[in-house]
Amino acid sequence: MNPEPFLQLDRVIHEKGRLAIMSLLAAAPQLPFTELRDTLNMTDGNITAHLRTLQETGYVSVTKEFQGGRPLTTFALTARGRKAFTDYINLLEQIVQQTKREI
Amino acid sequence: MESNWASEHLQVIRTLMERSAIYRRALAPTSLLIGGIGLAAAVIGWLAGIDSHRAFGIYWVVVAFIALGSALALIRRQALREGEAFWSSPTRRVAQALLPPFLVALAASILMVAPAWREPLQVWWLPPVWMVLYGCALCSAGFFMPRGIKLFGWVFILSGCVVGALVNQRSYAAGMPHLTNAHWLMGATFGGLHLAYGVYLYFTETKKNEA
Repeated sequence: MNPEPFLQLDRVIHEKGRLAIMSLLAAAPQLPFTELRDTLNMTDGNITAHLRTLQETGYVSVTKEFQGGRPLTTFALTARGRKAFTDYINLLEQIVQQTKREI
Repeated sequence: MESNWASEHLQVIRTLMERSAIYRRALAPTSLLIGGIGLAAAVIGWLAGIDSHRAFGIYWVVVAFIALGSALALIRRQALREGEAFWSSPTRRVAQALLPPFLVALAASILMVAPAWREPLQVWWLPPVWMVLYGCALCSAGFFMPRGIKLFGWVFILSGCVVGALVNQRSYAAGMPHLTNAHWLMGATFGGLHLAYGVYLYFTETKKNEA
């Protein structure tokens, strides 16, 4: 088996929590912090840590605004994040196809 | 083994992406509100004796706009309370799915009430047409909402078909009842069905939240 596709997998996205966040953001233009947290059933601390990592890598952007007098923090994938996510999916599909061929 | 792992990852990603697009705001209060408005409008329509074809059509179109406006205000309030965006991507998708059948229903209402020569009894066709189109709207929106909405939409479609068949049969055989009775039909369907669904959702949604 060729291990190359596996080795190319983006380690930032490959972590379970961050992959879940990236998957949700890939299907929506932007999502509020509370919706991400509630959908994934994560604690505030846990999801904040993952979002910070994704932000530092440049995969996720954050917008802070006020709506109806309340603060609203929303997250979205950056162009770089979307490309990284697409590449990650392509690699996973490549691994599946490669293993099928070898069986 | 590696293939299984990768396939499972892809499946999880697909599920999460689908979940991201689903509208998840609590529907019980909205359903109860629409049901309450429908039932109140039926009582008011009957008490006020609204029985001309034009008044009946216009009255229920106005009630529909009031119900829609109130539902949107309630949804906006829910969103603000939870610190979320009101006009979110799932809300937009649901609105887009509802819009075509709603516009057709509005067009059908205008066509039915516009001519001054229309027989009042012909307006008996409006409730089944509204019911079927409303059911179609719910079924379309159901692609972006919890599964129960589609079933609820089918209840409206089937009820509309049954009422339509009865209207068709009675208009030729025994003649139609007075138009004031159509208010009770509207109250039972748009009011009663929403109230029943709202009560059902109230208990099931609460249980889900507790779990």
